[in-house]
Amino acid sequence: MKGDMCLAWSSDEAIREQAECGGAVTSLLKFALESKRVDAVLAVKARDGNRYDGVPVLITDPQEVVGAAGALHSASPNIARCLKEYLGGASDLRVAVTCRPCDAKAIIELAKREQITLENLLLVGLNCTGTLPPVAAQKMFEEEFGVNPADVVGEDIEDGKLAIRLKDGTEKERDLAELEEKGYGRRDNCRRCDTSIPTMADLACGKWGAVDRKATFIEVCSEKGSDLVDGAGEAGCIHVEQASDEAVETRRKEYEAATELARTWQERDFAPFKAMSLEERFDYWFGQFSQCIKCFGCRDACPICFCKDCWLEPDRGFVLGGEIPPEAMWPMVRAVHVMDSCVNCGQCQDACSMNLPLSRFIFMLSKEIGDVFKYEPGMDVSVLPPCKIVTDAELSVEGVEVVF
Amino acid sequence: MRKNGVLEETSWEEALDLIASKFKEATPQTFGLLASGKNTNEDAYVLQKFTRAVMGTNNVEYCGRLCHSPSAAGLGPTVGSGVMEISEIDIERADCIFLAGVNLKETFPLMTMRVLRAKEKGARVIVMDPRNTASARYLGDIHLQLKPGTDAAVLNAMMSIILNEGLENKEFIASRTAGIEELRQYLSSLDLKELEEISGVPLETIRDAAMAYATAETGCVLYDQGLNQHTTGADNVKLLASLALLAGHYGRPGTGVNPTRGQINGEGTGDMGCLNVFYPGFKRTSEDVAKSFEEAWGVKNLPVKPGFPYTVMMQKVKFLYVVGTNPMMAAPDVNSVRQSLEDLDFLVVQDIFPTETAQLADVVLPAATWVEREGTHAWVDRRVQKIDQVIDPPGEAKPDWWVVCQLAERMGYKDKFDFSSSRDIFEEIRRCVPTYAGITYDRLSQAIGGIHWPCPTEDHPGTPTMFVQKFNTPDGLGHLQVVDYKPPAELPDEEYPYVLTTGRSIFHYHTGTMTRRTPKLNDEVNQGFVQINPADAARTGVRSGDTVILETRRGRIEAQARVSADAPPGLLFVPFHFAESCANVLTNPALDPACKMPEYKVCAVRMEVKQ
Repeated sequence: MKGDMCLAWSSDEAIREQAECGGAVTSLLKFALESKRVDAVLAVKARDGNRYDGVPVLITDPQEVVGAAGALHSASPNIARCLKEYLGGASDLRVAVTCRPCDAKAIIELAKREQITLENLLLVGLNCTGTLPPVAAQKMFEEEFGVNPADVVGEDIEDGKLAIRLKDGTEKERDLAELEEKGYGRRDNCRRCDTSIPTMADLACGKWGAVDRKATFIEVCSEKGSDLVDGAGEAGCIHVEQASDEAVETRRKEYEAATELARTWQERDFAPFKAMSLEERFDYWFGQFSQCIKCFGCRDACPICFCKDCWLEPDRGFVLGGEIPPEAMWPMVRAVHVMDSCVNCGQCQDACSMNLPLSRFIFMLSKEIGDVFKYEPGMDVSVLPPCKIVTDAELSVEGVEVVF
Repeated sequence: MRKNGVLEETSWEEALDLIASKFKEATPQTFGLLASGKNTNEDAYVLQKFTRAVMGTNNVEYCGRLCHSPSAAGLGPTVGSGVMEISEIDIERADCIFLAGVNLKETFPLMTMRVLRAKEKGARVIVMDPRNTASARYLGDIHLQLKPGTDAAVLNAMMSIILNEGLENKEFIASRTAGIEELRQYLSSLDLKELEEISGVPLETIRDAAMAYATAETGCVLYDQGLNQHTTGADNVKLLASLALLAGHYGRPGTGVNPTRGQINGEGTGDMGCLNVFYPGFKRTSEDVAKSFEEAWGVKNLPVKPGFPYTVMMQKVKFLYVVGTNPMMAAPDVNSVRQSLEDLDFLVVQDIFPTETAQLADVVLPAATWVEREGTHAWVDRRVQKIDQVIDPPGEAKPDWWVVCQLAERMGYKDKFDFSSSRDIFEEIRRCVPTYAGITYDRLSQAIGGIHWPCPTEDHPGTPTMFVQKFNTPDGLGHLQVVDYKPPAELPDEEYPYVLTTGRSIFHYHTGTMTRRTPKLNDEVNQGFVQINPADAARTGVRSGDTVILETRRGRIEAQARVSADAPPGLLFVPFHFAESCANVLTNPALDPACKMPEYKVCAVRMEVKQ
């Protein structure tokens, strides 16, 4: 039931071999399909076996689930956006989705905006301590680990170390802080992320608390999640045992340490701005925005942006077309429209062709607004965003189609 | 196919049969082919092979003639190769970046990101441009806002200042260059005040730029059309390279004098030999080279003499095959281009959209785009990368190489064009182009970001940085060049009082074939415009939004006025993307004698408000 903490592993030896942490997630997904709880599974898979090219895959054949087993640390596909754009927001499809905390949060924010039908989803959350930018990761493996990136078969981020496992079984590790000082390591937004365990999903699965056992620690976060774990257990697909107090405590400490590290990064990234006068802050950010070439990459990547007819388009007559940098309203509109709901997924910054620290900007604003309104984006579908994104006046603009 | 004056849909069979029968009527003197910087290497390779082996002529060119022919002509004698000398990524390592005649923000945004990263680490950026472009405003620390076409005066002044101040890299000059005494003597004869007057750039600004570049640890020059598209383009490039030699900014990551070829395969189509004077691998046309390719291809009588350059070819030949290029928008003096194309006996256009050039064709063939076919490209920094087919081509569209092989077969050369895939072609390229010999499809599928040529063997890692030990000149030295400033071919006078210069907007790409068909981009800028300085606008009563008539000795167009301080007084700027306000109706076809580059960047023009 909701609130349960358990350890689980697959009953299928082949899956245990392929997957990480005993293959519980893979077996749960497979069972979800087999038991017709869902029509499809949305997971992330290495394209053509390339770990640095993780792509979302929609799986309907239970036998194919195992092909997406295992964690890909160098993949950050935009799962929420994918659900909305390509799967019709799951309005007529029941989908089990593997999601990191930021994916789950984005899905919930989109559900609040009626862009995703949460009732049709089974969110299988995966603990996450950060992802690596794929190209820089390969360079890092070559230069800092002295290995051929193609030989890497697994990565792990734990206890301040980035560890990798190679084809031949060797393992190597480097100090994460040192790597990140050099500009390697995790994506900016991941460093600041203080939500390593996706309790907003139906299940939160990870290895913290499993210690050295080949098992997955699962926190059951909803009745829907509970039904899946119970069903899979009863069907003999997974073995489930209640987590010991010790396991729960270990996990709690790991989470605390990760959160502490994230807060340090937040402090480090935000403090310089907080120390600035309003004018200095304004100058800094508009200096950054003056590099914008209006490629629309941030808007198109942002899982919170959902208007079909966008204020930023020149035909709306709000921001003058054909100019770079676009006028000040451009970044302001971007910020105002999403900042109360930023889930710190980093997609905007990944997409920015001018390398602007957009995720830092929006997430910082989001934190400040969150403090004011006591609002945390993406946690609870029943709590609506504090700043109403769409005003009545906007809704009545001719030709604008907004579902809200 | 054109039937009774109208283009009508037909089958590949019928179209190819007709083309083959027409091409059989052509002689080496009357056939010509224009290839594209957007072809794959494989496409480009078979296009030039078809021209040489089947049609027996070196009349094969591509748009590289209209953008970077001065690079070959200028860098060749100076350092030996007209290519980008570093890996694009290493721009981030530079602590001084000189953007010479390139509006990087609007034309090369992703390279701009490298510059921004270098700036974050403290790099200073010099911008040389007559206009106060977005690059000058948001990237530049020093702006050399010169009068159009006076690049040589500024560059000579910079070198003169460096020598006067003793800031030249003496060790580098002594060990790796030749010609310092001649250069020193020549520069000492120049009057800096006079150069200031010619260029219109305050001497203090030139001094700042010279000092910043000469005292940098890693100085990187990126240049483009603003420097090239003049009757003195090759001279300008020679001077830039001499400047870099003087400062010793060569042969290390992040240094060099780097042409920024803008098309995806702007480098590769040249590598493959789609130039009138080069067989594949930049082997200059000669008896020996022709003979070696006769052996390689198993054919006889390959052409020895150079073919016609791009703009001349259109006037001289009778049978023209145009692949992925649009001279009706891109070549200078479009009215004359139209006349030449209408005078042809037979024009074939192969493209992804019906271009302005295709409207004049006898046969239009549909080509597959980059996502619809497999192949390789050589990126701006000589980085060979593989692209995979993602989707099937729409309708009847085919990869360019497939079309050429079909034609070759119909003309009796099936066995010489017996390629069933782009991989087959690439294997032949590896045998004919030594710099590609070590690159394979399998290696490319593994290599992060591709492999930089030269890559002579399969165990060679590729060459991100060139000239580390020596230059590609016969003696291995960098040759400092003495170049006199020469004014542009056509300057303003009473009748045509303004200078016209052309260029780009970030929202459109080249002749607009793709971007003007992209609603989002066309919504940003949906018509041709002319930038006019506020003072000129006030004097002539032009307001933003007015339609103005621009007229040169070659033609007239209408464009929407945009009053903007980006343009200095006396200069009118017109982007060349818009068919209805075609800038190249106005431009001057006068050629640089060294490389046949037309002078797109300067001509005399007059303006009036349309009543």
